[in-house]
Amino acid sequence: MVQKRVLIFAEQVNGELQPIGLELLGSGRLLADKLGATLSALVLGSDIAHLPPILIGHGADEVFLADHPELAQYRTLPYRRVITDLIKSWPEPPHTILLGSTTTGRDLAPRLAAHLETGLTADCTDLDIGPFEYANSKDPSKSGLFPDCLYAIRPSFGESLKARILGPWKNPQMATVRPGVMVPLAWDGSRRGEVFQVPVQLDPSDLSLQIVETVRNLSQAIDLMRAEVIVSGGYGLGSPEGFELMQQLAACFPNSAVGSSRKAVDSGWIPYAHQVGQTGKTVRPQIYIACGISGAIQHRVGMDKSQTIIAINKDSSAPIFKFAHYGIVGDLYQVVPEMIRQLQQDQSQPQANLSERIPVLQGH
Amino acid sequence: MESFVLIKQVPDQSSKAGINSDGTIDRAKAKRMLNPFDRYALEAALQTKRQHGARVTAITMGPPPAIEILYEAIAHGADRGLLMTDRRLAASDTLATAYTLAQTVRYAGSPDLIFCGLQTTDGDTAQVGPQLAERLGIPQVTYCEAFEIRDGILLARRAIEGGSQTVTVPLPALVTVANSAQRLAYPTLRGARRVQHLMRDEAARAEVIQIINLDDVGADPERCGLKGSPTIVAATEKVGEIGGNCQVFQGQSVPSLVKSLTEAASISSYSYAGAR
Repeated sequence: MVQKRVLIFAEQVNGELQPIGLELLGSGRLLADKLGATLSALVLGSDIAHLPPILIGHGADEVFLADHPELAQYRTLPYRRVITDLIKSWPEPPHTILLGSTTTGRDLAPRLAAHLETGLTADCTDLDIGPFEYANSKDPSKSGLFPDCLYAIRPSFGESLKARILGPWKNPQMATVRPGVMVPLAWDGSRRGEVFQVPVQLDPSDLSLQIVETVRNLSQAIDLMRAEVIVSGGYGLGSPEGFELMQQLAACFPNSAVGSSRKAVDSGWIPYAHQVGQTGKTVRPQIYIACGISGAIQHRVGMDKSQTIIAINKDSSAPIFKFAHYGIVGDLYQVVPEMIRQLQQDQSQPQANLSERIPVLQGH
Repeated sequence: MESFVLIKQVPDQSSKAGINSDGTIDRAKAKRMLNPFDRYALEAALQTKRQHGARVTAITMGPPPAIEILYEAIAHGADRGLLMTDRRLAASDTLATAYTLAQTVRYAGSPDLIFCGLQTTDGDTAQVGPQLAERLGIPQVTYCEAFEIRDGILLARRAIEGGSQTVTVPLPALVTVANSAQRLAYPTLRGARRVQHLMRDEAARAEVIQIINLDDVGADPERCGLKGSPTIVAATEKVGEIGGNCQVFQGQSVPSLVKSLTEAASISSYSYAGAR
């Protein structure tokens, strides 16, 4: 019997695995178990022999390792070549291939899908395996009952809807998955798996693109993902200056960051790095304060796993009040300065108490 | 030099027109607009015209009203437009769309650069650009924020997680332009006049805007539309509304509103005061 596979692409940067790879293993494990399939991880890079044990410890049954100097940094064409060559060397393509919805995954996945002439669903927030019965008189050749399909689930445009996208007619069934959504498996050092070296045969044309420089300002990237409190501003701020107020409110909390909706980014009020939502970052802070954000589905999917969601909005019918935990209907330009004032007052009180206590202690 | 820019007409999400009560969109009634991401792609193509005298061709695929965005591109300075329109394109997914566009691009000429928006606001997939590049067998630069061309080499800066990357690649190449790139300038007076003229004079329009179908570009209808799409939207479900659970404060003075909220949500425990 031919081996059935769920294949995940694990990204590395400078030899360090990115969290998305482990998240994909967590999700891929569930799919592989439902399918009775092998969970395979694929990692490309240079001098990365230390990575397979990490992938196995987090759930991979087998790891395909392509270790070559030309693969050190991600580039579209060399990666595309190595991966499609590998898949075509197998007697049967994988059932499912998962990549992250990162700048790398969104660059690579469509090239693979077009090369393999197969379906690809972008930016999924949920995945599952299940049956599907299809009948369409306009396209009868596709009709039938398909027992084990990849359910690729993603928010649908401008609507409070989630779409389930299927493509059971051809394997691999491919999807990219939003970072920060899937939960990795806990590390288990007793897990065993096989490691296979992947042959690397590049065509000179694959190397036409050269990387001159890569600059990463990691603190900026990580702030939003690690912040305990996120203060986010939307189009309701009315102007870029509104983000100064967001910054001031964020400054009341030691572990905080400023986020934004896409409309504020599109309006040029704040850089893309701050964008939360479907095409920005997925965050799950303890407290998410949404100011002047209506709560469209694209924003919601990036933040609705936050512990406590607070909405400040003039419009009492804004969708955000349907999923926030606490809300104030009012003008954010009155509410937020008052909130800052009260939080700063709280802050000064303990200091006052402390200074009062010291003379008392000295007096004893 | 030949620059192509691929653009799409999308429903205007900021307008309430055409939004059904169940949250779905009636595309026939919805207000239409040029995909906001494509504005950056158009500006990038126009940059090659300003700096290198490139001829700029705007290409779109869609129902007949999509000609509106070709007029818009011409008003901004594009030289010509192609509208690929055909009933057999209905229900195209990204793979089928990229196939149709590849045939259309081949029909339209041999571009040195193809610019696409990073993604559309209706599909949000960011897939069609790279899929098209794969079909055309050319390299791509995605998430491009800025670029220049020197001696047939594209030097481009692209956004990556927490930073940027600078790359070089010989032309031809496909570039998807991020929304952190140069914003689109206003239409030129000359462009606007040209559009007015084209809208009045059908013969003049036919010389500038070509309306084509699958047969014109030699596309296999089996690889287009529903038949050529390996994926379908099998089901949609309403996202669970946690209605009624939100504790909303309103109608009091602002200080008491804020006090009620911060106490109910225990915000202070995360502030500097609470951290002590």
